[in-house]
Amino acid sequence: MKYLKIPKERIGVLIGHDGETKKMIEEIAQLQIEIDSAEGEVTINEHEVKDPLLALQVVDVVRAIGRGFSPEHAMRLFKEDTDFFIFDVHDYVGKKATHVRRLKSRIIGRNGKTKHIIESLTGADISIYGHTVSVIADFESIDIAKKAIDMLLSGCKHSNVYRFVEREMKKLRRGQWF
Amino acid sequence: MGRTGIAHIYASFNNIIITITDLTGAETITRCSGGMVTKSAKDEGSPYVAMKVAQTAAEAAMEKGFDRVNVKIRGKGGKKGGSPGRGAQTAIRSLVRAGLRIGNIEDVTPRPHDGTKVKGGKRGRRI
Repeated sequence: MKYLKIPKERIGVLIGHDGETKKMIEEIAQLQIEIDSAEGEVTINEHEVKDPLLALQVVDVVRAIGRGFSPEHAMRLFKEDTDFFIFDVHDYVGKKATHVRRLKSRIIGRNGKTKHIIESLTGADISIYGHTVSVIADFESIDIAKKAIDMLLSGCKHSNVYRFVEREMKKLRRGQWF
Repeated sequence: MGRTGIAHIYASFNNIIITITDLTGAETITRCSGGMVTKSAKDEGSPYVAMKVAQTAAEAAMEKGFDRVNVKIRGKGGKKGGSPGRGAQTAIRSLVRAGLRIGNIEDVTPRPHDGTKVKGGKRGRRI
Protein backbone atom coordinates (compact mmCIF):
# COMPACT_ATOMS: atom_id res chain seq x y z
CA MET A 1 0.00 0.00 0.00
CA LYS A 2 1.25 3.44 -0.85
CA TYR A 3 -0.35 6.61 0.41
CA LEU A 4 0.01 10.13 -0.89
CA LYS A 5 -1.87 13.36 -0.68
CA ILE A 6 -2.65 15.74 -3.53
CA PRO A 7 -4.48 19.08 -3.51
CA LYS A 8 -8.27 18.79 -3.43
CA GLU A 9 -8.80 20.68 -6.66
CA ARG A 10 -6.55 18.24 -8.54
CA ILE A 11 -8.63 15.23 -7.48
CA GLY A 12 -11.08 15.93 -10.29
CA VAL A 13 -8.25 15.83 -12.84
CA LEU A 14 -6.92 12.57 -11.42
CA ILE A 15 -10.34 10.97 -11.76
CA GLY A 16 -11.25 12.52 -15.13
CA HIS A 17 -14.58 12.45 -16.98
CA ASP A 18 -16.55 9.45 -15.68
CA GLY A 19 -13.37 8.14 -14.10
CA GLU A 20 -11.61 8.02 -17.48
CA THR A 21 -8.12 9.00 -16.32
CA LYS A 22 -8.18 6.87 -13.21
CA LYS A 23 -9.36 3.90 -15.23
CA MET A 24 -6.56 4.43 -17.76
CA ILE A 25 -3.88 4.50 -15.05
CA GLU A 26 -5.34 1.39 -13.43
CA GLU A 27 -5.39 -0.40 -16.77
CA ILE A 28 -1.78 0.43 -17.66
CA ALA A 29 -0.42 -0.50 -14.25
CA GLN A 30 -2.85 -3.33 -13.39
CA LEU A 31 -3.53 -2.09 -9.87
CA GLN A 32 -6.21 -0.43 -7.81
CA ILE A 33 -6.31 3.26 -6.90
CA GLU A 34 -8.59 4.51 -4.17
CA ILE A 35 -9.29 8.22 -3.94
CA ASP A 36 -10.74 10.01 -0.94
CA SER A 37 -12.14 13.15 -2.53
CA ALA A 38 -12.98 14.81 0.78
CA GLU A 39 -9.41 14.76 2.08
CA GLY A 40 -7.40 14.44 -1.12
CA GLU A 41 -5.83 11.19 -0.06
CA VAL A 42 -4.84 8.67 -2.70
CA THR A 43 -4.22 5.05 -1.80
CA ILE A 44 -2.41 2.81 -4.25
CA ASN A 45 -2.97 -0.89 -3.71
CA GLU A 46 -0.04 -2.70 -5.31
CA HIS A 47 -0.38 -6.11 -3.66
CA GLU A 48 -1.43 -8.07 -6.71
CA VAL A 49 0.59 -6.21 -9.29
CA LYS A 50 2.70 -8.22 -11.75
CA ASP A 51 5.46 -5.68 -12.32
CA PRO A 52 6.32 -4.07 -8.98
CA LEU A 53 8.21 -1.32 -10.75
CA LEU A 54 4.98 0.02 -12.23
CA ALA A 55 3.70 0.84 -8.74
CA LEU A 56 6.60 3.25 -8.29
CA GLN A 57 5.79 4.91 -11.58
CA VAL A 58 2.12 5.26 -10.65
CA VAL A 59 3.15 7.16 -7.53
CA ASP A 60 5.12 9.56 -9.71
CA VAL A 61 2.23 9.97 -12.16
CA VAL A 62 -0.25 10.72 -9.39
CA ARG A 63 2.18 13.17 -7.82
CA ALA A 64 2.72 14.88 -11.18
CA ILE A 65 -1.03 15.27 -11.68
CA GLY A 66 -1.25 16.66 -8.16
CA ARG A 67 1.46 19.16 -9.04
CA GLY A 68 -0.51 20.65 -11.93
CA PHE A 69 0.37 18.51 -14.94
CA SER A 70 -2.36 17.43 -17.32
CA PRO A 71 -2.87 13.64 -17.43
CA GLU A 72 -1.46 13.47 -20.98
CA HIS A 73 1.83 15.01 -19.85
CA ALA A 74 1.93 12.97 -16.66
CA MET A 75 1.52 9.74 -18.68
CA ARG A 76 4.97 10.44 -20.10
CA LEU A 77 6.30 9.10 -16.82
CA PHE A 78 5.24 5.57 -17.78
CA LYS A 79 8.00 5.60 -20.41
CA GLU A 80 11.29 4.13 -19.33
CA ASP A 81 13.64 7.06 -19.59
CA THR A 82 11.68 9.95 -18.14
CA ASP A 83 12.25 11.57 -14.80
CA PHE A 84 10.25 13.88 -12.60
CA PHE A 85 11.45 16.56 -10.22
CA ILE A 86 9.73 19.09 -7.96
CA PHE A 87 11.29 22.41 -6.96
CA ASP A 88 9.91 24.12 -3.89
CA VAL A 89 10.03 27.90 -4.27
CA HIS A 90 10.12 28.20 -0.47
CA ASP A 91 13.65 26.77 -0.58
CA TYR A 92 14.80 29.90 -2.42
CA VAL A 93 12.79 32.67 -0.78
CA GLY A 94 10.80 32.78 2.41
CA LYS A 95 7.04 32.43 2.69
CA LYS A 96 6.25 35.98 1.64
CA ALA A 97 3.61 35.88 -1.09
CA THR A 98 5.14 38.66 -3.20
CA HIS A 99 8.51 36.90 -3.30
CA VAL A 100 6.95 33.61 -4.31
CA ARG A 101 4.94 35.33 -7.03
CA ARG A 102 8.02 37.12 -8.34
CA LEU A 103 9.99 33.88 -8.66
CA LYS A 104 7.09 32.08 -10.28
CA SER A 105 6.72 34.81 -12.84
CA ARG A 106 10.45 34.74 -13.52
CA ILE A 107 10.07 31.16 -14.70
CA ILE A 108 6.90 31.79 -16.68
CA GLY A 109 8.11 34.95 -18.40
CA ARG A 110 5.99 37.40 -20.38
CA ASN A 111 3.16 35.45 -22.02
CA GLY A 112 4.92 32.25 -21.01
CA LYS A 113 7.99 33.09 -23.08
CA THR A 114 10.67 31.77 -20.72
CA LYS A 115 8.80 28.58 -19.92
CA HIS A 116 8.15 28.02 -23.61
CA ILE A 117 11.82 28.49 -24.52
CA ILE A 118 13.06 26.02 -21.91
CA GLU A 119 10.36 23.53 -22.87
CA SER A 120 11.01 23.70 -26.59
CA LEU A 121 14.80 23.54 -26.30
CA THR A 122 15.05 20.68 -23.80
CA GLY A 123 11.84 18.81 -24.62
CA ALA A 124 10.77 19.05 -21.00
CA ASP A 125 7.33 19.72 -19.58
CA ILE A 126 7.20 22.36 -16.86
CA SER A 127 4.31 23.02 -14.51
CA ILE A 128 4.14 25.92 -12.10
CA TYR A 129 1.53 25.34 -9.43
CA GLY A 130 1.15 26.84 -5.98
CA HIS A 131 4.62 27.23 -4.53
CA THR A 132 6.20 24.46 -6.61
CA VAL A 133 7.80 24.19 -10.02
CA SER A 134 7.88 20.67 -11.45
CA VAL A 135 9.65 19.24 -14.47
CA ILE A 136 9.14 16.09 -16.54
CA ALA A 137 11.92 15.32 -19.02
CA ASP A 138 14.20 12.60 -20.39
CA PHE A 139 17.20 11.44 -18.42
CA GLU A 140 19.64 13.31 -20.68
CA SER A 141 17.98 16.69 -20.78
CA ILE A 142 16.47 16.84 -17.29
CA ASP A 143 19.79 17.95 -15.82
CA ILE A 144 19.88 20.93 -18.16
CA ALA A 145 16.25 21.86 -17.54
CA LYS A 146 16.76 21.55 -13.78
CA LYS A 147 19.91 23.68 -13.86
CA ALA A 148 18.12 26.32 -15.93
CA ILE A 149 15.22 26.52 -13.48
CA ASP A 150 17.65 26.62 -10.57
CA MET A 151 19.49 29.50 -12.22
CA LEU A 152 16.24 31.42 -12.73
CA LEU A 153 15.12 30.81 -9.16
CA SER A 154 18.44 31.94 -7.75
CA GLY A 155 18.40 35.17 -9.72
CA CYS A 156 20.29 34.71 -13.01
CA LYS A 157 19.61 36.98 -15.97
CA HIS A 158 17.17 35.48 -18.45
CA SER A 159 19.48 35.93 -21.40
CA ASN A 160 22.23 34.05 -19.58
CA VAL A 161 19.87 31.17 -18.91
CA TYR A 162 18.76 30.99 -22.56
CA ARG A 163 22.40 30.97 -23.64
CA PHE A 164 23.22 28.25 -21.12
CA VAL A 165 20.36 26.00 -22.26
CA GLU A 166 21.19 26.48 -25.92
CA ARG A 167 24.87 25.72 -25.42
CA GLU A 168 24.27 22.64 -23.28
CA MET A 169 21.67 21.18 -25.63
CA LYS A 170 24.05 21.65 -28.56
CA LYS A 171 26.76 19.86 -26.60
CA LEU A 172 24.37 17.03 -25.78
CA ARG A 173 23.31 16.59 -29.39
CA ARG A 174 26.90 16.60 -30.58
CA GLY A 175 27.66 13.86 -28.07
CA GLN A 176 24.87 11.68 -29.42
CA TRP A 177 26.24 11.61 -32.96
CA PHE A 178 29.31 9.66 -32.00
CA MET B 1 15.80 -23.63 -6.67
CA GLY B 2 18.09 -20.75 -5.87
CA ARG B 3 18.31 -18.69 -2.76
CA THR B 4 16.55 -15.45 -1.93
CA GLY B 5 18.35 -12.30 -0.90
CA ILE B 6 17.80 -8.61 -0.33
CA ALA B 7 19.13 -5.96 -2.70
CA HIS B 8 19.73 -2.72 -0.83
CA ILE B 9 19.87 0.10 -3.37
CA TYR B 10 21.06 3.46 -2.14
CA ALA B 11 20.52 5.95 -4.95
CA SER B 12 21.48 9.52 -4.15
CA PHE B 13 21.94 12.24 -6.73
CA ASN B 14 25.68 11.74 -6.96
CA ASN B 15 26.19 8.03 -6.50
CA ILE B 16 24.55 4.64 -6.38
CA ILE B 17 25.48 1.79 -4.06
CA ILE B 18 23.97 -1.67 -4.38
CA THR B 19 24.56 -4.21 -1.63
CA ILE B 20 23.07 -7.67 -1.99
CA THR B 21 22.71 -9.57 1.26
CA ASP B 22 20.98 -12.74 2.39
CA LEU B 23 17.50 -12.55 3.90
CA THR B 24 18.74 -11.68 7.39
CA GLY B 25 20.52 -8.65 5.98
CA ALA B 26 23.58 -9.40 8.10
CA GLU B 27 25.58 -11.37 5.57
CA THR B 28 26.80 -9.42 2.55
CA ILE B 29 26.97 -11.40 -0.66
CA THR B 30 28.21 -8.73 -3.02
CA ARG B 31 28.47 -5.01 -3.26
CA CYS B 32 29.00 -2.55 -6.08
CA SER B 33 29.02 1.23 -6.36
CA GLY B 34 29.21 3.92 -9.01
CA GLY B 35 32.92 4.51 -8.62
CA MET B 36 33.70 0.86 -9.28
CA VAL B 37 32.38 0.95 -12.85
CA THR B 38 33.17 4.45 -14.03
CA LYS B 39 36.23 6.66 -13.95
CA SER B 40 34.67 10.11 -14.03
CA ALA B 41 33.15 11.34 -10.78
CA LYS B 42 30.33 13.26 -12.40
CA ASP B 43 28.86 10.13 -13.99
CA GLU B 44 28.57 8.16 -10.77
CA GLY B 45 24.92 9.04 -10.25
CA SER B 46 23.77 8.75 -13.85
CA PRO B 47 21.22 6.16 -14.93
CA TYR B 48 23.62 4.49 -17.33
CA VAL B 49 26.10 3.82 -14.53
CA ALA B 50 23.24 2.62 -12.33
CA MET B 51 22.48 0.04 -15.00
CA LYS B 52 26.05 -1.21 -15.06
CA VAL B 53 26.30 -1.29 -11.27
CA ALA B 54 23.13 -3.35 -11.05
CA GLN B 55 24.40 -5.69 -13.74
CA THR B 56 27.70 -6.39 -12.00
CA ALA B 57 26.00 -6.88 -8.66
CA ALA B 58 23.39 -9.19 -10.18
CA GLU B 59 25.99 -11.31 -11.97
CA ALA B 60 28.04 -11.74 -8.83
CA ALA B 61 24.95 -12.68 -6.83
CA MET B 62 23.77 -15.20 -9.40
CA GLU B 63 27.18 -16.82 -9.44
CA LYS B 64 26.68 -17.49 -5.75
CA GLY B 65 23.33 -19.16 -6.32
CA PHE B 66 20.84 -16.36 -5.79
CA ASP B 67 17.95 -16.12 -8.21
CA ARG B 68 15.43 -14.00 -6.35
CA VAL B 69 15.78 -10.72 -4.47
CA ASN B 70 13.55 -8.39 -2.50
CA VAL B 71 14.48 -4.80 -3.15
CA LYS B 72 14.88 -2.00 -0.63
CA ILE B 73 15.48 1.36 -2.24
CA ARG B 74 16.65 4.37 -0.34
CA GLY B 75 17.31 7.98 -1.24
CA LYS B 76 19.31 10.58 0.62
CA GLY B 77 16.63 11.01 3.27
CA GLY B 78 16.69 13.00 6.46
CA LYS B 79 15.93 16.69 6.60
CA LYS B 80 17.53 17.24 3.21
CA GLY B 81 14.77 15.02 1.91
CA GLY B 82 14.70 13.58 -1.54
CA SER B 83 13.08 10.40 -2.70
CA PRO B 84 15.30 7.80 -4.36
CA GLY B 85 17.32 9.28 -7.22
CA ARG B 86 16.72 8.56 -10.85
CA GLY B 87 19.22 5.70 -10.78
CA ALA B 88 16.97 3.53 -8.63
CA GLN B 89 14.40 2.64 -11.28
CA THR B 90 16.98 1.87 -13.93
CA ALA B 91 18.90 -0.24 -11.43
CA ILE B 92 15.85 -2.35 -10.61
CA ARG B 93 15.04 -2.76 -14.27
CA SER B 94 18.51 -4.00 -15.07
CA LEU B 95 18.46 -6.39 -12.10
CA VAL B 96 15.45 -7.94 -13.82
CA ARG B 97 17.20 -7.94 -17.17
CA ALA B 98 20.24 -9.68 -15.69
CA GLY B 99 17.98 -12.57 -14.72
CA LEU B 100 17.12 -12.02 -11.06
CA ARG B 101 13.48 -12.32 -10.06
CA ILE B 102 12.17 -9.41 -8.02
CA GLY B 103 9.98 -9.95 -4.99
CA ASN B 104 8.56 -6.87 -3.38
CA ILE B 105 10.00 -3.38 -3.61
CA GLU B 106 10.11 -1.25 -0.51
CA ASP B 107 11.07 2.38 -0.06
CA VAL B 108 13.17 2.68 3.08
CA THR B 109 14.23 6.31 2.76
CA PRO B 110 14.60 7.70 6.30
CA ARG B 111 12.02 10.44 6.78
CA PRO B 112 12.23 12.93 9.64
CA HIS B 113 9.24 13.07 11.99
CA ASP B 114 10.10 16.73 12.12
CA GLY B 115 13.74 16.95 13.02
CA THR B 116 16.14 19.84 13.03
CA LYS B 117 15.82 23.05 11.02
CA VAL B 118 16.67 22.85 7.35
CA LYS B 119 19.58 25.02 6.29
CA GLY B 120 18.90 28.13 4.24
CA GLY B 121 17.54 30.56 6.79
CA LYS B 122 14.30 32.51 6.90
CA ARG B 123 14.76 34.25 3.57
CA GLY B 124 15.63 31.07 1.71
CA ARG B 125 18.73 30.19 -0.26
CA ARG B 126 20.39 33.31 -1.63
CA ILE B 127 23.18 33.47 -4.14
